[in-house]
Amino acid sequence: MDLSFTAEQLALRSEIVKFARQELNAELAEHDRAQRFPRENWLKCAQFGIQGLPFPREVGGSAADIVTTMLAMEGLGYGCRDSGLIFAINAQMWAVQTPIWLFGTEEQRHRYLPKLCSGEWIGAHGMTEPGSGSDSSALATTAVRRSDRWILNGSKTFVTNAPVADLFVVFATTDPKLGFMGVTGFLVERDAPGLQVGKPIEKMGLKTSPMAELVLEDCEIPLEGLLGREGAGAKIFASSMEWERGCLLASYLGAMERQLETCVEYARSRKQFNRPIGKFQSVANKLVDMKVRMETSRLILYKVGWLKSERQEAVMDAAIAKLYLSECWVQSCLDAIQIHGGYGFMTEYELERDLRDSVAGRIYSGTSEIQRNIIAARLGL
Amino acid sequence: MDVVQEIHDYIAAEFTPERGSLAPDENLLAQGIIDSMGILKLVTFLEERFGIEAIDDDLVPENFASIETLAAFVERKRNG
Repeated sequence: MDLSFTAEQLALRSEIVKFARQELNAELAEHDRAQRFPRENWLKCAQFGIQGLPFPREVGGSAADIVTTMLAMEGLGYGCRDSGLIFAINAQMWAVQTPIWLFGTEEQRHRYLPKLCSGEWIGAHGMTEPGSGSDSSALATTAVRRSDRWILNGSKTFVTNAPVADLFVVFATTDPKLGFMGVTGFLVERDAPGLQVGKPIEKMGLKTSPMAELVLEDCEIPLEGLLGREGAGAKIFASSMEWERGCLLASYLGAMERQLETCVEYARSRKQFNRPIGKFQSVANKLVDMKVRMETSRLILYKVGWLKSERQEAVMDAAIAKLYLSECWVQSCLDAIQIHGGYGFMTEYELERDLRDSVAGRIYSGTSEIQRNIIAARLGL
Repeated sequence: MDVVQEIHDYIAAEFTPERGSLAPDENLLAQGIIDSMGILKLVTFLEERFGIEAIDDDLVPENFASIETLAAFVERKRNG
């Protein structure tokens, strides 16, 4: 396994860090308080090339390999303190663009990917329903073929980007008798008859990332809106999650590094009893643990990148990465607040926002419990 | 023990311990016996026990609908 980076890859990471620091962090506390999606920053990221990173050049991407993409997202997490924006971008890249890239027709790729890469359009992904989450067998949204169109009925919840999205990847069952193998993917444009986007949902964190419910009431889409073949929805979803679990976490790694540096600097400069607080073992040990978690996270994350670049299956490794990095990120946030004492609890220091944002990582793209189930299943348990 | 019997015994023990035996043509998907999590366990079992490799394209109802279709899938993989 080769975990080294080229000079070009490292240069790209540096460029992204510089771009993110200069362009993406202004008025963040206000955006968070107002739950405002920073569309202008979304466009800046697209213009920089973030949303198009791994996708083919002919559809507006940069054709970056998976490891380069991970390193770029790590740089984005390091330089950009807006976890909500990063989450929204990742939700589109891995759960909308990637399925279209891997499972879509040539026409679908050319119709949608250039607009999604350029930031002109925003994509959202609807799988979770009020009555079903990770268990796709329990999915209740139906799709019925009627001569020249598909008719979708059902509802989706926790749809990231929904309030601002132009395109939705929606999963519905075309044959309930086939359980999860009857689940099928569809591409639904925002103006599709019968599609309603609900009011934005308020959240604990990731407040700059908008979220809403979808209602599909005799929603009509053309036959060309089928994504992949009938019954391939579970496979499309699993593939999306494998990519998302691997790549979304790269930005956590960057964020952990940023947070560690902030904490080390604080522990060196903040004095109590005439000594920097970092000289007290109880503080130093927290910093050491943050460093160890960050470095082990790096190895686990890039192993997934290496497996994917070698076109090897990475179901279990992506689950390990998702489980480990999301839990490490929460603990890193808690430690950072504790090291900063009262200041860490204050909004101005931005650590409490990191903590609120981090908790979602243990839930979305499959909870920590689901990741453990996946790992246990792959162990034959 | 033949392939059908081995697959039967594994599924019966792992997914339907309260029921005991299953019919070879019973639809595992329609009955909800194999779900999206269960298939990960089942694939791991098939790969380890029969020395085959199941790729994404193999995960279709034609292969996973019943014990019979699973056994046929294993035989095809072994001979392929």
